[in-house]
Parts: sequence; structure tokens; C-alpha cells
Amino acid sequence: MRKALLSIRLTLLVVLSAAASAFAQQVTLERDSPLYAEPRLDAPQVTQLKQGATGEVVAKQGGWLNLKTPGGAGWLFSFNVRFPAQKAEGSESGTGSALGRVFSPRRPASVTSTIGIRGLDEEDLKHANFNAGQMKLLDGFVASKQAAEERARTTGLAPATVEYLDAKK
Amino acid sequence: MTHALKIWVAVIAITAACGPAGAASIDLGRIFGAGKDLATAAGGMDEKDEIAVGREVAGRTLGAAPLVPDPELQSYVNRVGRWVASQTERPDLPWHFGVIDSPALNAFAAPGGYVLITRGLYEILDSEAQLAGVLGHEIGHIVRRHHITVMQKSAAVSAGVQLAQVRDRGALASNLIGTGAEVFARGLDKSAEFEADQIGVVLAARAGYNPYGLIEVLHKLAARGAEDASLALLFKTHPHPNERLQQLGDALTPRVGALPSGGMEPAIRAVSAGVSPPAAVKPVAVEGARALQEEAAAPPLKPAGKGGFGIDPGGVLRGIFGR
Repeated sequence: MRKALLSIRLTLLVVLSAAASAFAQQVTLERDSPLYAEPRLDAPQVTQLKQGATGEVVAKQGGWLNLKTPGGAGWLFSFNVRFPAQKAEGSESGTGSALGRVFSPRRPASVTSTIGIRGLDEEDLKHANFNAGQMKLLDGFVASKQAAEERARTTGLAPATVEYLDAKK
Repeated sequence: MTHALKIWVAVIAITAACGPAGAASIDLGRIFGAGKDLATAAGGMDEKDEIAVGREVAGRTLGAAPLVPDPELQSYVNRVGRWVASQTERPDLPWHFGVIDSPALNAFAAPGGYVLITRGLYEILDSEAQLAGVLGHEIGHIVRRHHITVMQKSAAVSAGVQLAQVRDRGALASNLIGTGAEVFARGLDKSAEFEADQIGVVLAARAGYNPYGLIEVLHKLAARGAEDASLALLFKTHPHPNERLQQLGDALTPRVGALPSGGMEPAIRAVSAGVSPPAAVKPVAVEGARALQEEAAAPPLKPAGKGGFGIDPGGVLRGIFGR
């Protein structure tokens, strides 16, 4: 089975749930990874994909991508894939880029290319003077803890108890 | 030692620019007195010192790139950022957040609660969950005092070098920060970046967002990296996004069950219509591909050359993938 999966090539028409538009998005596996029946690490494994294999993205959920492969459809933890390099030209934050499609842009692209420019470079920082006026502005925009809580509440954000990943057990 | 640091902060505040190199040789002990070196001083920094240093660095950064003139946007980012910061063990720092007017893709943290994100990075974000992840990474640097650790390390290096070629104490103070910046810039502790990535994911989750926003941003960066001149330059000094994704995956995989499966992905506020695009656009000589290859083999620390290092807030700042 693993040998058969060494080089997977797929052309499937897929639909991205969030964007609700049909497209085919191919990704490449960065390392050997199991494909799960559901987006959970304790879910049954559909198959084992090898590094370099490719698959088509159907949807995403949290850190998971729903992939279609010859070995079956399933869920892959998205750390283990790489998206094709984008052409860093023109606008790209959303509709035009493969990645933008997968990660469901919520607004139209408005970014100009940054190729060939660097806006804030080392020399700028080295030679910059303290800007008291700008600091005063920055101070003026500070949100109190209460204001931030209130805004989170009205947005529907509910705090959750989650331990740091490096927390001692 | 706290006192010494305060003097140091005051000195850098009045030293607008680092002048050309002089000839005097001054060791650190003479500046900080009674055998105190910067490593000792940095180790003894209290929260007030942290905030003072951070404020100085943030003010200089704003001197290089001002805030985007969009009060609604700035208030929005402060409310989101403060909410995320409230999920940490340091909720009562004077947290400041700002979007600075630069097309570069970058975000910075300075000690004591100062977080700046460039407009270039802000505008490639698709959701507030992604913003929370990016801010969470920067907040992680501040909460874990990564700057202080690096200042200690860099000071140890400086002490060995016996910083020479400085004209006066102000210039020396500048050089100390600059030396720290050099150490920072060489990416000596990738582990701090990996740790901040993990914290970014956790803080976003704690704040009620989809925890994976930061990962989406790293995917975006990885996908555009090699072809993007400005990012390639930044990759030189920080772990490549692919490496960060791998580290994050390794850290998350055994703990993924502990992360909420849901989480919100509210829309992100766009920069207000009518605000002009960033002005700071200039051509750059591209050394991108080479810089990327050199990432693994960081060049050795250079002692202060003519003109010294100057003050480099970008070095003292911790960036998400640059400085």
C-alpha cells in the first residue's frame, strides 16, 4: 500500500466549503503522514501518505485539511503539507491565491506586491529617532482590560481554559 | 543594578544617533559600576525597567514608521490585542498595540507590553483569529521575557569583546543595544521563536478564537517566501516558516486534544477606505535566494566596526518572522 502511494497524482474537482466555489487545490506532503477518517488524531486511519505525495484539498477545519487521494478521502493535520509557492506579484491576499482560497478570504484583496521593496529596513530602524508625538498617539489608542473584555463579549468570544503546550504535567 | 539600567535607558533616550567611532576603550564595569556588567544588570531588570526599555524601543520604531492614520483600526487592534494579552499571566502590563505604516511583512514585540504589526502583514490576514495568533506570538515573547534573556546573552558576548571604539558613554550604551541586536539578528535562539509560536496558538484558543490562525499565517509566509525579496531577507535572521510549522506540529500533535476544536473566526477589520497606502516604498537590491540559503549557517558575531552598531530597535524587538 505504501509503495503504491509513493507518487500520488490527483485531479479532482473539489468544492471549498467556506468559499463555496469549485476549485482544485493541490498540496504536497512534507513528511509521511496518516490520513484520518475524521479531523481527530484518535480517529481511524484511512491510509498512510508518504512524503512528496500530493492530494487535493476539499475543505479545512481548524488545523485540519480534508484531502482526496487515490487511497481514499480523509483528514490531514495541516502542519504536514506545503502549498505551492505563490507568484509574489500583483494582489494576492485573497481570491487570486491558492492559499487564499483554502483559507477562505473574508474580504477582497487589497495588497500591493512587496517584491522588490522593503518598507522598514535595518537602516531605518538604526537611525530612527524616538518619536514622542507618535508615542502619544499610541498611548491614546490603548484599550483597558475592561473595554477589551466587553468587546470580546459582544463579539461572542468565550474564554477557554487551555494549558501552555510546554506546561509541566 | 536596577539603578544602572535606568541610567542606561536615560542615556539612550538622549543619544539620538550613534556617532562615528572614537578610540577610547571602555569596559562594561565602568559604565555600570562596582563590577556590574550588563548581563547582571539585565538579569535584575524589574518590570518598570522592562517597560522603560520597551517604550524607548517602540518610540524609535515609530520614528522609523509611524502609525497608520486610522484611529478606528488602531483602537480595534488594541481591543483584540488586549483581550489576547488578558489570557496571560501578565494581564496588567501596559499593553500597547499599533499598526505601523510599512509595506513590509513584520510584527514586533518590545519588552513591557509593546506590540507593533506592519500594515503589510496586517493586510494579508484573513480573519481576526489570524490576527490573534500573530499578536499572541508577540505577546508570548513579552510574557516570557525573551528580550531579557537575549540581552543577558549579548551582554556576555560584549563583555568578552571589551567594546572598543566608542566616543562616549552614550555611544557605548547605543553599542550595547546594537550588540544585542546583532546577537538577536543572528537568530541565536530559534527556540524563543518556536516557543512564541506555541504560545500564540494557545493564547488564541484561550481567547475563544480558532487556535490555528497563526498556522494559517505561517502557511501564507511559507508559500510566498522564496520569491519574495523582503521576506527572504527576513528569513535570513529567523527560522523559516516551514521549520516553524514543523516544530509547531511536533509540539501540538501530542496535545491537540487539549485544544478546543471550535473557536471563532470573526472577520478582521479592514484598513479604513481613504487611508493612503504605505509611503515607505523603496527599491532594494535583491539577495533573496542567497540569504535564504545562508539561514542555517549564521555568520559569526561581528565586533563593532566603524560607526558602531547604533541603536537597532528591530534587533531588540522580537519579530514574528523578522525584526
